[in-house]
Amino acid sequence: MNDKINIEVVYALPHEQILLQLQIPQHTTVAEAIKLSGVMEKYPEIDLDKNKFGIYGKLTRADAVLRDKDRIEVYRPLLADPKEVRRKRAEEGKAMKKGGGEAAA
Amino acid sequence: MLTALLVMSGIALVLGAVLGFSAIKFRVEGNPLVDKIDAILPQIQCGQCGYPGCRPYAEAIAAGEADINRCPPGGEEGIRKLADLLGVEFKPFGGGTVQKPKAVAFIDENLCIGCTLCTQACPVDAIAGAAKQMHTIIAPVCTGCELCVAPCPVNCISMVVIEEKITTWKWKYPVYPLAPVK
Repeated sequence: MNDKINIEVVYALPHEQILLQLQIPQHTTVAEAIKLSGVMEKYPEIDLDKNKFGIYGKLTRADAVLRDKDRIEVYRPLLADPKEVRRKRAEEGKAMKKGGGEAAA
Repeated sequence: MLTALLVMSGIALVLGAVLGFSAIKFRVEGNPLVDKIDAILPQIQCGQCGYPGCRPYAEAIAAGEADINRCPPGGEEGIRKLADLLGVEFKPFGGGTVQKPKAVAFIDENLCIGCTLCTQACPVDAIAGAAKQMHTIIAPVCTGCELCVAPCPVNCISMVVIEEKITTWKWKYPVYPLAPVK
């Protein structure tokens, strides 16, 4: 059996997104793969203790073991406070509807 | 022991033979026209044509239920190809669909609340983001299907037209089609 797996590492900024494809040995953890991918050299602002990361939209821990075809995503913190945004929209009289954007009047 | 083995393998052989026989005997022929139409459609699965995806739209076209001019991502070029394939006249966009320039989604970071609704809607996994983390569109992967725009509860997603640059320029389909030789 092949002992290498193919994964992707994504770090997305608003106007520039990098999508690295790499082959890594099996049983590699998320943190090791991020180090292997070299994103941290290119974007020194990434801090494995501060930035959270996940696999395909699900947050994972740094010691999670990767599987074939996983996509590691390095996240950035939110700029807006969700509570504040919701409160503002409520004050403006816009109803919030899950999955509907602007709610029907 | 030996009896059990024989019984099990006997059952496996009989069932296998039944399955193999029925696969040949009751084979369902797919409509080859649907496959051809489906191959022309852009496979964005955006639903802007009013059908749940490209395949259902292809089936509707093949059955004569749908017009060929309902696919905005395919552009006029797509309509032309469909018209060629089906031997009908080219017709401009209609039925509530309009020609749009190619665009990708863009998230306003000052508004995004990290709700993951857009990532769930994206059919091509072009949005990187998890709960309470910044969501970002991975532009090279985005197909511009607009499915993420409606679910956003704070309206932070907009479609940004891809500017024509040297890296994004594509050869234009001829505006005046050549006259066919009789």
